[in-house]
Formats: sequence, structure tokens, C-alpha cells
Amino acid sequence: MLCLLQCFVSIAAQAASEKADFWIDNEFTPSTLTKAEQRQELAWFTEQAKPYQGMTIRVVSEKINTHQYESKVLAKAFYELTGIHVIHELTGEDDVIKKLSAQIITNENLYDAYINDSDLIGTHFRNQAVTPISQIMSEHGKQATLPTLDLDDFIGIKFTTGPDGVLYQLPDQQFANLYWYRSDWFERADFQSRFQQLYGYPLGVPQNWQAYEDIAEFFSDKVRTIDGQRVYGHMDYGKTDPSLGWRMSDAWLSMAGVGDKGLPNGLPVDEWGIRVEDCRPVGASVERGGAINSPAAIYAIDKYVDWLTRFAPPEAKQLTFSQAGDWPAKGVIAQQIFWYTAFVDDLLQPGLPIVNADGTPKWRVAPSPLGRYWQRGMKSGYQDAGAWTFLSSTPKQRQVAAWLYAQFVVSKTVSLKKTLVGYTPIRLSDIESDAMTQRAPYLGGLVEFYRSQARNVWTPTGTNVPDYPGMASMWWQNISSIIEGEYSVKQGMDKFAQQLDAHLLMLEQKAKQDSGALCAPILNPKQNPSHWLAQPGSPKAEIKSKSKGKTLPYEEAIRVWQ
Amino acid sequence: MFGNKSLHQLVFIALLTLIMGKSSIADTSKPLTVVTFQQAPFAVEGDIKDSGLIVEVLDELFRRAGIEYHMVFYPLKRGMAMSENLDNHCVLPIERSQDRETNYRWVGPVLISRYGLFSSDSTSKPLITLDDASKYSIGSFLGSGVGEYLEGMGYNVEFTSNASLNLKKVQRNRIDLWASELVSANWIMQQNKVDLGEPELVFFTSLRAMACNKNLDNSRYNAMQSSLEDMYKDGFMHRVATKYGARLLTAQYGVGASF
Repeated sequence: MLCLLQCFVSIAAQAASEKADFWIDNEFTPSTLTKAEQRQELAWFTEQAKPYQGMTIRVVSEKINTHQYESKVLAKAFYELTGIHVIHELTGEDDVIKKLSAQIITNENLYDAYINDSDLIGTHFRNQAVTPISQIMSEHGKQATLPTLDLDDFIGIKFTTGPDGVLYQLPDQQFANLYWYRSDWFERADFQSRFQQLYGYPLGVPQNWQAYEDIAEFFSDKVRTIDGQRVYGHMDYGKTDPSLGWRMSDAWLSMAGVGDKGLPNGLPVDEWGIRVEDCRPVGASVERGGAINSPAAIYAIDKYVDWLTRFAPPEAKQLTFSQAGDWPAKGVIAQQIFWYTAFVDDLLQPGLPIVNADGTPKWRVAPSPLGRYWQRGMKSGYQDAGAWTFLSSTPKQRQVAAWLYAQFVVSKTVSLKKTLVGYTPIRLSDIESDAMTQRAPYLGGLVEFYRSQARNVWTPTGTNVPDYPGMASMWWQNISSIIEGEYSVKQGMDKFAQQLDAHLLMLEQKAKQDSGALCAPILNPKQNPSHWLAQPGSPKAEIKSKSKGKTLPYEEAIRVWQ
Repeated sequence: MFGNKSLHQLVFIALLTLIMGKSSIADTSKPLTVVTFQQAPFAVEGDIKDSGLIVEVLDELFRRAGIEYHMVFYPLKRGMAMSENLDNHCVLPIERSQDRETNYRWVGPVLISRYGLFSSDSTSKPLITLDDASKYSIGSFLGSGVGEYLEGMGYNVEFTSNASLNLKKVQRNRIDLWASELVSANWIMQQNKVDLGEPELVFFTSLRAMACNKNLDNSRYNAMQSSLEDMYKDGFMHRVATKYGARLLTAQYGVGASF
């Protein structure tokens, strides 16, 4: 009998080992681990999952390529290796946030884990609805925490850590917003000479918004057609849609220079124009010390609307984030100030007009140009980490099973392959790998960005925003009313500032009813805006002088990243 | 270019707008018209009294919010068009999605629904991930958010005018899989004395909400949303869901549950 049992165990172990080898040989290559190390890691998952075999775990994330890979391939691999069935749903990012909020509101266990952007860190550390990763690792998930998880290897870990030093979320995929341009067009001698003649400086990577505007005008209005095809010097999107809000809240205002100096986010005024004092938000309007309707913010939105109207394709005003993402691939866009690297794979497909026959791209990414109010020491752009988030209303046992899956899809066994599929790197070891060096010439500068210190200067929404789900929709609603001409930029941003203040006040009152809450808002009294505009830092007084366009050759432009 | 269906819909909306006088400011003294559609056991139009889970939720919600309303039954697509275009109108239960977000003012979630893929009892199609269903034809019905979701993801979806027809299609192997909300699928199977068994895969969770006209005033919106949240907190929603067999949430299952 004992022999039978031993034989059964031995056969089961061998079957598990064969499954692991199958996945290592056929899918998880390359890896920064040796095959033996990969086998060891996968064997650990198989062993740790035994108490949870037969469970079905539900997770939800947005639809980008990386998550499609997880949903189609990694969930299946995890099931075969562990016996835990994962339903990895894909949906819109706004829907992910709505579902996360719904679980918090209803206290029902909709999902066992969410992958949502670290933009919610200000909400998570205040509202106690999240079970922090730190807690899972030290308490109920301690036994099920991968010995080779290596948190220090994650480049985005600071984005998901609260001001209290607690790790709330674990990065799953990371992307940045960078300047994107057609390097083949910029290198053309005829365009270089004509641009120099018209604008008095070389055609190159724009360093400020004036240069970006000049280049946009050059391609949209002066060049107009290339090889008989209408081309545009700028691409953006403007449809009334939740994604319109991300365009602005992600970093548009901070690139203009709305906030204060400080990393990862401006302090005391952040990229949303919200001022905090001692971790408590005190106002968004200039009247209360914020900057959302400051001269810098009005300049930022004015430029957004002006460029969208004058230089982008006429269709752009009716496009959403994902629809606009298809446009650079058509080969008619010269540059985009603020382009999501989550689209890298879409722009590398063979046969596209923006890809050479040898697979190298005809485009490059570089640091985004900065607006008139930006000063050294401020964040330079947007980067975020879609990160694993566990809610307190999920039963602990289910959290642990989902924690195993979360660790699997970021493990060193699979993370390099996942990076090469979706180009959303999370581990320094992957970024520095030989495989990435070999791939670098085909990625237009993405690897150079992630290997530089720039990865610390491009940052997500920070901790000043106390209720991201409740406040994010205000962005698209207000910006839309400006685009559609219902309000001027000034009127629209004043209205927006009042709404943000009203929401902060509501949170303040709610916190009082709930006998106080961690770092809840306490609004400043209203003062004449001139009071705050006269103080150093943000909100900044109007700069009326027009800056001169400045460009750099690509090699010099990316030295900023070194 | 508009097809006939779109043209008819536009004419319908234009007439409604003319008749009811669309304005940008809703008249808050008027009761709300809440449109729903026949989908047992959620909403069933009766000769004397309407019944169903949604009917009970609405009764309680408006009682707590202190708002007058009356309920009418129309097909889903028509109800959505009415709510989008006419003041003081809401429609439910609607699957809330990013694509639809900007068209309405949402009160929710009024229902948390799970969706599965059913196959005929003579055929077993083991699905580990949704991607495994990509080689099959999938049935859904017009206006279904989950049908649109699958179609948008590139799946081969065939739409019928109502959900029940899909049961017949899957039984006759005219479609390989039927994508349906679980509670209504069970009800349709019971009514037709058919048992397809457990779904091959429960692949999606959706938040279903009440989609109100964008001009809905803040005071009524806040009263409804806050009443709804209270109904979750004090257990009303759980009780009414259980009454109708809506065993939807994993918290109730624990380890080892099939979905």
C-alpha cells in the first residue's frame, strides 16, 4: 500500500515536472533564470498551490497586449501547473476602476484581485479598503510568498508604496508616455533645410512646447503631403469619453509646469493642481492654494485644444484613447507629444508603413517637450504601473490563491518573455538582460528609456489625490465641455476647480462624520488668488513672454535620460 | 450611411423628442419614468402587477429615496434610446461599460451579473480560458452588453432578437455556445424544461446599473445612489438576490466552488 502511494506521488511529481518543462521550453524562453532555476520556481508554485487546487479565481484588468497575454497564455499555464483555474477578465480601464469601486461600495467579492493603475495610491492608503501587499506577505500569504519574488528588482515599487512606507500594490506591467516621432522624416535633408529656413532653428527633437508647435505647424500646414498622402504634425484625441480625462490627468498639466518641484510628484502642489499640507489635501482652486485653474493650467489646456484643432487630423476630435492609438501606424503622423509605450508592439508589425523591411522602426521615442512653466526638479512625464490590488472584502483564502497567480505572472520565470510580448517591463533584471540588448534596435528607444534614470522622473498620479475613482470622471466631463465650446478654457477650468474643491469638502465632511480618517482633506479658506500667485512655487503667476523653439538631435535629446 | 434599423431608431427618437419636449434642464417636479424590459426573473410584466428582482429593488430604492416613479416595459434598445434622449427617464438593468459611460448618468450597481458559455448537453466543450472559445460560434441577443463585449474582442457572435431563441439554437447545434447571464439562463432553461447543465466557463462579471438621462438633477441622483448603497449595507440586496436564486458572488462559495 505504501509502495502504491509512493508510486502515485512519484508519478504525479513527474507529470508536474514534465508540464513545467513543456512550458519552459515552449513559452517561457528567454528568461533571466537558468532552466534549472525556472524548474525550481515552477515546482514551488505547484507545491504551494496544492491547498487551493480546484478553486476558480477571478481577476480583472484592462485590455492591453500584456494582459491579453496573461489572460490567454499565462492563466492557462498556471492552471496546468497548479490546478487553480483563473478567469482573467479583460475590460476597459474605466470599467476596472468601476468594478473595484463597486466591490468597495457593496462589500461583495466581485473579484479576488484587480490589476489597476497605481494612480489610485492616494485612495488606497487613505481608505483602508485594500489589503496591502506588505500585509499579505507578512501574514496570511507569508507561506505562499515566492522566495525569489525579489521586490527590489521591481522598478515601479515606489509608485505603489504609500507615504506610510506600506506596499499597497505589486507592479504587473509598466508603461510610459514619451514623445514619438517619425525619425525618417526628420532626417530628410529637404525638410531640415525648409524647417531651418522657416523657423530659424534645426528640425530635431523638440525640447519645449514652442518647438513642438512649430514642428506640428510645419508638417500640417507647410509640408501637408508626403508621397501624395496628407500628413499631420500632431496626433491626439478628443472624444467625450473617460479616456479623455486620462490624457489630461496623467501628466499634461505637469508637463506644462503646473505643479511644484519634487519627485515622484510635486510638493506641496501636485500634477492635478491639488495642494497638500501634512498629507491633507487643502484645495485645488487657486483661491485655496491649488493650481487647477492657475495660469499654467489654462496655458496647458489652451495648447491642448489649439493643437487638436489646428494640427491633428479632423477625425481626432471624435476618437478615444484606443482609437487614436491606431493612427501613428497609418504612416501619416509626424509626431505625438505624449504617446503611450503600451502601443509599442502595435507599431512594430511587419508591413506597416512605419516599419523598415528589416523590422527596425522608422520612428523613435524621446523625452517629451516641456511647457513654459516647467522647471528643473519637476516630474517630466507620465509613467504608471498596472499593479495587483487585493481588496479587504475578498476572503483571505481566495486572496492567497490569487496572490499565487499574481506572483506567477510577474515571476522571473515568465517576466522577460512577457516583457518581450507586451513591452511593459517591470523588472530591472529583464531590462538589463541580453535579450533586451538584442531587441533594443527594434524598439525605437524604449530600452534606452528604461535603462536610464528617466524611469524615476516619469511618474504616475501621486498621493495628493484622495479619491481617484470619485474625482477622475471630472476631468473628461470638464475638458469635454471646453472642447465642445460650451465654456472658454478659463471658464471651464474655474468650474472644474470649484467641482474639485466641492468634492474635497465632501470628503472632509464625511471624514468628520466617520470620526476622522487618515490624511483626509481639510480645505483652506478662500483667499484672493493674487495672494497665492504672489507666493513662490505653484500656483505660478502668468508668464506672458513667448519662448523660442528649441530642438536637439536625437542622440543629444536622449542624453537627458542618461 | 444609416441602415434601415438605425433610420427607424432615429425617427423614433426624433418623434419622442418632439412629443415630450427635450430640454437641457429636467423638470424635477415630474415623476421619473423607469424603463425596463422583459427578462425573467428580473422583470416580468403582469396583467395586474409586475414582478421580479428588479421590480422589488426599484420599489425599495424609490421608497427610500422618496421619489415618485412609474415603470414601463419596452425592448432594451428602445429603452436605452428613450433614456438617452428624454429628460426624467431611466432604463435598467443596463450593463455599464466604458463605451456607454458618457451617454447616461448612472445609478448603480443595481445588479451584479455573471455570464457563462453554455453548450448543448450532447456536446462538451471544455474551456480553460475565454480564448479557447475563439474557434466556436457564440449566440447572444441584440442589445446585450456581453454580446457586444465578445464581438468587440473578435469572437464569432450571432445575435438573436431575444435571449430565449439562443437556447433553441444551441440545442439544434446552430450555434456552438450560448453566452448568457446565469440567472436568466437558468430561468429560460426551466421554462423550456431543458437542462444544459453547468456552463462550460463563467467568463465575465458585469455591473448592471440604472442608466438615467444625463440631465437628471443632483438631488434625485444623490438620493437614489445613497439609498442603493444603504440597501447593500443593510443586507436588502443580498436578501432579494437570494430570493431570486442570484447566487452570484464568490464570497458565498468559498474554496472549491465551480464558479
